[in-house]
Order: sequence, then C-alpha cells, then structure tokens
Amino acid sequence: MQVDLREFRAAYLAEVDEHLGAINAGLLAVEVANRAGRASPRELRELMRLLHTIKGLSAMVGIEPIVGIAHRMETVLRAADEAGGVLGDHALEAMIQGTRAIEAGVRAIAHDEPAPEASAALIAQLDAAEAAPASEQSLPPPIGDAQRPEIEPEIAEKLTASEREEVAQGIAAGRHLLRIDFAPTPAKAERGLTITTLRERILPLGELVRVIPLSRAATESAPGGLVFALLLLTEASAEIIAEAGGVPGSDVREILAARPLPRAVEVNRVEDLPEVVEAQRPGVLRVDVGRIDDTIEKLSGLIVTRSRLARAVGRLREGGADTRELEAIMIDNARQLRDLRAAILRVRMIPIATVLDRLPLVIRGLGRSTGKHVRLVLDGAGAELDKTVAERIFPALVHLLRNAVDHGIESPEERARAGKPEHATVTVTSSSRNNRQIEIRIEDDGRGVDRARVAEKAGRDVPTDNHDLLELLCRPGLSTRDAVNTTSGRGVGMDIVRKIVVEGLGGELALDTTAGRGTIFLIRVPLTIAIVDSFTLRCAGERFVVPVPVVEEIVELDPEKIMRGPRAGGRQARFFERRGETVPLVDLGYALGLGAESDGFTGKQALVVRRGHEDPVAFAIDRVLGQQETVVRPLVDPLVVVAGVSGSTDLGDGRATLVLDLLGLSAKLGRMRKDAA
Amino acid sequence: MSEVLVVDDSKVMREMIGACLRPDPSLAVTQAASGLEAIERLSLQAFDLVVLDLNMPDIGGLEVVEFIRGQDKLRTLPILVVTTRGEDASRASVLAAGASRYLTKPFTPEAILTEVQSLLGGPT
Amino acid sequence: MSESAMVPAPAAQPNDAPVLHVLFKVDDAIYALPSDVVLQMESFTGATFVPGAPRFVAGIIQLRGRVVPVIDLRTRFGLPPRAPTLETRVVVGEQHDRTVALVADSAREVVRMTRAQLKPPPRLLDEGATGFVKAVAQLGDRTVMVLDFAKIIGEELMDV
Repeated sequence: MQVDLREFRAAYLAEVDEHLGAINAGLLAVEVANRAGRASPRELRELMRLLHTIKGLSAMVGIEPIVGIAHRMETVLRAADEAGGVLGDHALEAMIQGTRAIEAGVRAIAHDEPAPEASAALIAQLDAAEAAPASEQSLPPPIGDAQRPEIEPEIAEKLTASEREEVAQGIAAGRHLLRIDFAPTPAKAERGLTITTLRERILPLGELVRVIPLSRAATESAPGGLVFALLLLTEASAEIIAEAGGVPGSDVREILAARPLPRAVEVNRVEDLPEVVEAQRPGVLRVDVGRIDDTIEKLSGLIVTRSRLARAVGRLREGGADTRELEAIMIDNARQLRDLRAAILRVRMIPIATVLDRLPLVIRGLGRSTGKHVRLVLDGAGAELDKTVAERIFPALVHLLRNAVDHGIESPEERARAGKPEHATVTVTSSSRNNRQIEIRIEDDGRGVDRARVAEKAGRDVPTDNHDLLELLCRPGLSTRDAVNTTSGRGVGMDIVRKIVVEGLGGELALDTTAGRGTIFLIRVPLTIAIVDSFTLRCAGERFVVPVPVVEEIVELDPEKIMRGPRAGGRQARFFERRGETVPLVDLGYALGLGAESDGFTGKQALVVRRGHEDPVAFAIDRVLGQQETVVRPLVDPLVVVAGVSGSTDLGDGRATLVLDLLGLSAKLGRMRKDAA
Repeated sequence: MSEVLVVDDSKVMREMIGACLRPDPSLAVTQAASGLEAIERLSLQAFDLVVLDLNMPDIGGLEVVEFIRGQDKLRTLPILVVTTRGEDASRASVLAAGASRYLTKPFTPEAILTEVQSLLGGPT
Repeated sequence: MSESAMVPAPAAQPNDAPVLHVLFKVDDAIYALPSDVVLQMESFTGATFVPGAPRFVAGIIQLRGRVVPVIDLRTRFGLPPRAPTLETRVVVGEQHDRTVALVADSAREVVRMTRAQLKPPPRLLDEGATGFVKAVAQLGDRTVMVLDFAKIIGEELMDV
C-alpha cells in the first residue's frame, strides 16, 4: 500500500491558513511594539517558528515555492533576533509582502493550480531586510545587571538571557513572578488537568515566561518523577492564579515580588490587538459580552444534551434495567448544571449603580429646561442585575423621570404656595426581591396624577383604582399636555415604558399616586432574563414554551364541566368552575391567531394564569410535554415584537421555538374584549 | 506491539507521520501536540520510541531530548528527531544531546518507516 | 441550515470602482443587494411563525445563536406564496443595527457593478416591487433590480 502524502493537501491548506492568521496577528503586534518603542523578541521568535512550520509542511506535501519564501522570511527573522529582537519598518514591510505571497500560493493550491514562485522584487526585498533588519529602530535600554532581580538558582540556570531580561522588565513594570508547580498524575489527567490544559487556563492571566520540566524522585504525588514549574509574570495574586488553574494554592508561590522602577521603563500593554484580554486590576478581566452569550449558548447545548440523556435513561429503565446509579449521577449532573448556570449568569451581572448613576445627569438637564428645581436621591444601589436587563430598562427609567419632572413636579411658585420646599425631590430606590426580581421605585413629591384630566383625555370614566389609572396612562398616544412638550417629546410614552418593562422583560409596572402629595412608579424586572424554568407544550400542532412561574396550575379539562357563555365579538365564551371561581377558557391557538377555536376538549389540558390579584384565565392546549430549563432569547427586531411572545428558545432541534408571555396575552385579550364591548 | 510517541505541534505533520507508519501493524502510534505533553506522557506511560519534531513552541525538541536523557528510566529510549532543511546547527547539538537519529523534511513515507523499524530492532 | 456562504466585505472604494453585489431571484426576476449589506446566505428550511407579526414576515429563524426575523420576499412584493424548494435561499442582511433575513427563490451569483451601471428605476416596474427598488442595471441581457434594504425591512415605519 503506497502512502501518498499529497492526500494531505486539504488538511495542509487548513493548517497553513491558521498559521497565516497567527503570522498576521504577530506582524501587527510587532508594528504596535515598534510604535511604542519596544523590542519584540517573543513575537519574532514565534513568527520564526510559524514560518519554520510552514516550511516543513510545504516541503512534505511538495510545494517548493512556499518552502522558498518561508525559508527567506525565516532568515530575516533570525537576523532580527540576533540584532536584539527588533524588526524595523522596512523589514516588517518585507515580511508582510512575503506573507501575502504565501497566501497567494495557498489560494492557488486550493484552486488546483501551481503556487507561483517568489517574484524577483520580493526576493530583493527580503534579502535587503536580512541585511539590515533593524536599521531605523532604536532599542529600549536593557535593565542593567545591578538592577536585575535575583531568581532562585534551580530556575535561573534554565532561563536564557532574553528570558531573564523579560522577567526583569516585567518586575519593573509592576508585575510579580509566580511559580506554579504541577506534577502530572493519571488521576489528574482523567479529570482533565494536564500540563496543556493548565497552561491554557493561566495563559490569559499574564505572561508565561517559561515552563520548565524538572526531574524528581518518583513519589505518590509525583508518580512520574516529573514536576513542571510554570513561570508566570502577572498582576494577579497567587490565589487567583491557583483558582484559575484548578491547582491547590500551596502549589503557587511568588518567587519575585513586583518592583516598579521610578523611571518609566515602559512595558506597554498591546491594546490594539483584537482578542487581547486586558487585566485592569488584579483579578478583574474585561470580557466581551458576546463571549458570555456564547458560553450561555454552549450551556444550553449541555442542557439539551442532558435532557436527551435523561430520556435515554428513562428508556433503559422501561426496558427493565437497573438505572438507580445512573439516576443518582443524573441528579448530581443536574445540580452541577444549575450551579454552572448560576455561575455564568453571575458573570453577566453588573451593579445597578451603573444604570442609576446616569440618572443625575438626566435630572439636571430636565431641571434646566423646565425651570423647576429638582434634586435626585439614589438609594440602595447595591443590587446587581443582568447587563441586558440593565441596558433595556434605562430608557424606561429616563422616561419616568421625565414624566415626574414634566407633569408631576410643580413650578417653584406653585410649590411655595402649597407650602412645599422649593426643591422637589425625586427618589429612586432599588432593591432585590425574593432573589429573582429587582424592584425600582421612582417617587416624587409633586402634585400627583390628575385622574380627571387623564380620564377626560382618554374619553373614559374617572378610574377609581390605581391599576385602571395606569391602564389609561399607558394607552398609546396619550398626553395630558396640549402642545408637544420639548422635554417629553413624542419619544417614549408610558405605553413604551410598559412595553419595555412588561413585554420586553417579563416584568411588572405599578403606580400609586395621591393628589397634592406625589406619585410612585414601581418597576419590577427579573434579575436575569437568560434562563428560565419552563414548560414545553403542544398546541395547534406546534411546540411552545411557557415560563413556569407564570402558570398557577395545569388543569385536565373535562368536556362535561365546561360551560358555555354568551357569544360576543364573534366568539363563543367558555368557562369552568374551579374552587369557587369562574375561570374563562380560551384556546391558546386561537389567542395566538393560529386558527379558529376548536370545540373538543377531550384529553386536553389548560394552563391557568393569573396576574396579581386579577381574575384568572385558562388557556386550552393539547398537552404539557415536559418541564426543563430553557435559554430564552428575547425578540428584538421591531418586526417580531408582538404581545404574547416574549422570546424564542432552542429545544435542541435547531429551530426557534416561541416562548410565550401568557400574562401579556391575557391582557391583550382583555383589551380586545373591552374594545369590542 | 511497539508504542511509538509522535511529537509535533502541527496536526497535519502528526497525521502524515501516522499514515507513514500505518503499513506496519506492530506499531501503535500515540500523538502529542507539544514537548510539554510529550514529557508528561513519557512520565506516566511506557513507550518504545519517540519521533520528535525540533521546531516547537514553549519547549523545543532539543530541550525535550535533554530532559529525556536526564531521566534514568528513559536513558536508552530511541529518539528519532525530525528536522527541516536549514537547521544544521540544531541538528548537531541534538545528536550531541543524545538523539538516536535524525530525519530531514521532506522525507518519503518509506524513509521514516524504515528508520522507525530499524531503531526498534528491525521489522517484526 | 446546512450550506452557507460568507460574503466578504469590500474595502473602501473610490467613486466609480465596481461594488460587489449579491444576486438572487424572486419569481424569475433578478434582484441585488450590495455586499456590505449582506451578512451571509443560507439554505432555508422554514421559519417559526410569529403570531401578530406583519403578513410578509414568515417568522423567525435561528442563525448562529441569534434570532433573526425572516421576510418572505414573495409576500412582500405581493406575489402568491410558494413552498420552499432546495433552491430556496435566505439572504441575511444587516443595516443600522437590524439583522433581517429575506427569503428568495434562489441565490447564486455575486457580481461587480459600478455606479455608472446603476440607473434609477423606471416607472413601469413590476407593481408589487415598487418602492423597494432603488436602482436598475443591465448585465448583458439580464435586468437586475437593486433593492432598498431599509425599505424592505420597514425602516420608515419604525420609531427609532
């Protein structure tokens, strides 16, 4: 059997592509270092290694032109390394051109054409670069021997001169040198802790100067007679590194303390590179929110897989197998997933202060433009909430403040006449409720909401309770000012506030007002909107998801017990009795506009929902299929923001499954009924 | 069965070498993607031969050879070092450090198979 | 969602340099969108219906973790609906922070067109697509209509 290495061309192309990406990033890093007046010995050595790899691979699959270019580029880098680890601008340009030539070669091979030879111009450019790799670049002064910190001999003798220099520069820049000891064992490998994974975990937290393998006599803790000493220059503490690496704290110790020099020997952070995780303070990382969402996405994959596993175990049990141990493991697994979920969500939490701290500026602006004197009091900023919730709620808070200043608060003269202090006070308080919600209270000491005015504008009777008053206030287009007010504008009406809070976040909005004394608006939103315990159900041939907290009860429908009411608005009203209450029954499919209401309820169930102290409503469905934790993605685009749908989720089939907002749906039905009446 | 550890940070290279050794059913190939991983595996498992690339990040082939030869139980382990054209200086130091043989890229599948079998004491 | 093609973004262009456009067909008429608006193209396996959304919204799909609304171009242009075939493609566009997918009968080509080639649309255009077409170009014997993505996704109706 003949082994033909040309069969590896596709894999070769993929790997070279990856290396080219790394080379481009490396050249960019060198450019940044040049601008900062720094040498870049590490980057150069890495570039050399990458080109050397490309050279070897290309030789194996028989692509000579790329071998040639890579070899020349490697020689340039070697010359630069010997010149102190600096690649001047001209040499850098030559490397960039060389990289492009290799890219062209790769593209040609991908199209089954021969790779072009290097042009004479490129060869000349690379030769010139090799001759004078660092001509225009000035080198930063190296740390003098007298200022070099002392490193323990076992380590010191293994470090190269440039690595010692690197350590010296890092210490002078305020980082300390940690030594992490790691002895590989079969047990650790089984847990996923190997030198490779450990290295990956601590790499983002600092500069890994070197990993040194050390021989030891074989002991129980080091059965292989091997210990790796990882040397890390970092600002993070030893405890944090130990935790990040998953190793005991006793295995991490500081071997060189930070000693920042008075004169600036800059070791600047490379800020321009993408994908660089910047340490701002020890233990604090700035992370792209997209990455957290990615992680939550992967977690949802885990949750879905777990459901499949649970079903498979169920089938085994039905087949008569003894699945007790499996089930015990599944229970542990469920707990771990829950803990993992909580931990990931904690990463997305930000203090509510970040939202509230922007409000004083808003109030100042409002006070100035209305000529009213308002002071803002912020209270209870210790609560934390999900970043997305925080971002969404901000415009709602701003509008409520505008409302308060515009309509609620009187002019200074009016206040004086009413015996109130000249400065009005708006208090914004936040607190977390029962671990799942955050409550924000906006209270003013103004004149309160004029019920009569609101009723008149809405063409309705004067509302007697606060709930009805809020309903009227939230009707679209309502404004109790005759002219469009420049501060309130047409931008965000109370209807939008309700849309944001209730429909967009699955929260609640409430109002309390006293004539002459003031108004309180209450917003309650979930701490996180990411993962919700939900029921999966079937209705009208489709699957839907409904959050568990919303459902008061799942009822088995008995067609005999369902009573008919009057026909109204083209619909046959139905209801049933439940513990002394009359519960209206609506077909969920019909409520969603999926079709006409069905007549048969045999074998069907209904979900009873109730908003606050209101009357309950029951939605008839086919059946509840199961209960699980689901990741909810809100529907953001205006085209698909509709009442009754709070988001979508993936139940593992790759399709979007709608997450329903039954409370919103029942409110919408209520409005429809009242309008039709 | 002879246990062969193939060490190279390039996945394609590891696969290619694996393919070159496949014609001999007495060879069981394990891959390591870095010198560190190689040293780790060698400390926990017995191998009959190591195929080692010189050009690797973090810990180069030379250092791996030095470490292996520094371990009592690995002193006689056959090491076949794979180098790329233009590495003459390293080649000398590697042999001085205790590598058994070297092979230069590009090599044919037959070439590496022959080297491996010869280092293991002839084909079985 | 099996097959996908990433459309590369062109670098900044001087005035009459040719601009990459993605071509797709709806009912045998050829339409185009500039490639800086097109995020990606996918095959279409159906969308989840969203009750209460405008009629031309086929529903939502999941694309690499994002939930994206889908507009059926046939309905948008007033044409009778047709069941998706293997050729049916979803052209995912992004503009002003909104990502919306458009369902076309097929989508295969990418062409370069210069500004000079783009003419204002004539009045006698297919009625259903009026208002959505912002320019017309002749490519050989084919007429290509360049769409106004913002109009299609209903940008003017939205309270931004």
